[in-house]
Amino acid sequence: MTPRLQVGRALLVAPALLPVVVVVGTGLTATALQSTGLMPLVGRAAPTLDAFRGAAADQDLVRSAVLSLALAGVSTVLAVVVGFLLAVVVLDGRTGGRLVRAAAVATIPVPHVVGAASIGLLLSDSGLVARLTGTGAGGMPQLVAGPWWVATVAEYAWKESAFVAVVVLASLARQHGELAEVATNLGARPFHRLRRVTLPLAAPSLVAAGGIAFAYALGSYEVPWLLGRTAPEPLPVLAYRLLTDLDLTTRPQAAAVGMVTIAVAVVVLAGTAALLRTTPRSS
Amino acid sequence: MSGHRAAASRARGPVGATGSALALVWLLAPVVPLLLWAAADRWQFPSLLPQDWGLTGWRASIDQGVLAAGARSTGLGVAVAAVATPAGALAGWALARTGLRENRAVSLALLAPIALPPFAVVTGLSTVVLRTGIPPAVSVLLVLTAAALPYTTYVMRSAYVGYDAGYEDAALSLGASRRDVLTRVHLPLVAPALTAAAFLAFLVAWSDYVVTLLLGAGSLVSLPLLVGALASASGNDSTVAAASVAAVVPPVVLLVVSGAIARRTGRR
Repeated sequence: MTPRLQVGRALLVAPALLPVVVVVGTGLTATALQSTGLMPLVGRAAPTLDAFRGAAADQDLVRSAVLSLALAGVSTVLAVVVGFLLAVVVLDGRTGGRLVRAAAVATIPVPHVVGAASIGLLLSDSGLVARLTGTGAGGMPQLVAGPWWVATVAEYAWKESAFVAVVVLASLARQHGELAEVATNLGARPFHRLRRVTLPLAAPSLVAAGGIAFAYALGSYEVPWLLGRTAPEPLPVLAYRLLTDLDLTTRPQAAAVGMVTIAVAVVVLAGTAALLRTTPRSS
Repeated sequence: MSGHRAAASRARGPVGATGSALALVWLLAPVVPLLLWAAADRWQFPSLLPQDWGLTGWRASIDQGVLAAGARSTGLGVAVAAVATPAGALAGWALARTGLRENRAVSLALLAPIALPPFAVVTGLSTVVLRTGIPPAVSVLLVLTAAALPYTTYVMRSAYVGYDAGYEDAALSLGASRRDVLTRVHLPLVAPALTAAAFLAFLVAWSDYVVTLLLGAGSLVSLPLLVGALASASGNDSTVAAASVAAVVPPVVLLVVSGAIARRTGRR
């Protein structure tokens, strides 16, 4: 490639690449420096791991990390399974399928904070489910702000299942119909076809969408803040409390929590990428 | 054609009407109490339906500033879409049609805003913003644009992978100017993708919570922040529901409209 062409394509990518590199680069660097004492709000910069030690000792960082991993993991598995089933319903091609596709697409633009408010109105002890089942006060298990984080997981699973379904349907649009037909003509029974045609075709987009859903759930603040209990706190909720604490010395701890969350996200997404490489591609 | 349809109907899956109904219940259940509460003046437990219907929630949410918050969110969404869509289109072209296609560094950099937890990146940024004195609204706009760019770039890259430049060559050989080719051939051909990209960019800004919370410094109350504040207080379910509906209707309408535009221009 000639130098002129190289400059040309660099200029084309720059408007998109520069804001991303500047924002993510500055943010990551500043968070890393703050967590290691190299960018204090007051006083002299000196390298230290006190923020990590403090977060682990005083703030139950490890418990928060385990909780965040569990919340994101369980809701991602639910979203991938339910999302795949939603896609199967749509592919079935009845009128109901078209309605399901429309409902899934319409769920995408719902902001998560609205999803959280809605799940609250659905699952709280005076919510619609309690009214439908006729369980009075005390009879309904505590789903919102309860010990099992049911409402939080339900919100992620609900929103992200729609996302998974839409991604899978988009990736299957071209090949699935023909291949399913061929399989049927060769005598495949419906469940056989589901397992041997639909699932393998959908696998790469299921893994990719699952990775994105996990990253979102791991870093989301508003959903566990509204629907979860106050202790233990998921990582984003813990970080926000430390960041906005009147005591300025907890700010580096907030950055330390951020660094731990980034590490978890990177490890899981590297795993997703590895899984994606081993998932056989259909085309 | 009828043979095709017969085969398609034989290719039907194991899903019955029950499956479709269950799928619809799963997707629509959270919306039901929202819509009922938005139209309820009084809905005491354990009644299945509101005792009194009315618009109290809407009046209360307007008193709480839902209109101003909606205007701020609209401004954020439009500004982010206006920057991220053309930038994504240029990058999408370069990634689809030049040697950059295999460039892993570029792909990884563009994946970062989706992969990394936004609160962790913004934690450090908030200190930088404090020190440099960048206005909160500008910093929110910049971060949300960076968050939207992966989506616009990816959508435009997919569109340009399948783009047939032959139409442009034909127009050029028929004597069209470069400018004509851009406005009358190129842009109409990629209009559906541009619409989809702009919609996604708008949505990133419209739905954001944590970036506006951490960088807006309390001065930028977007619609999601208002919904969050209302929902965290108790006892005003109809107000929460009204503000929530106000946060859902505009993007859903945009989705329908942009879908219609994409279909119309796509058919032409």
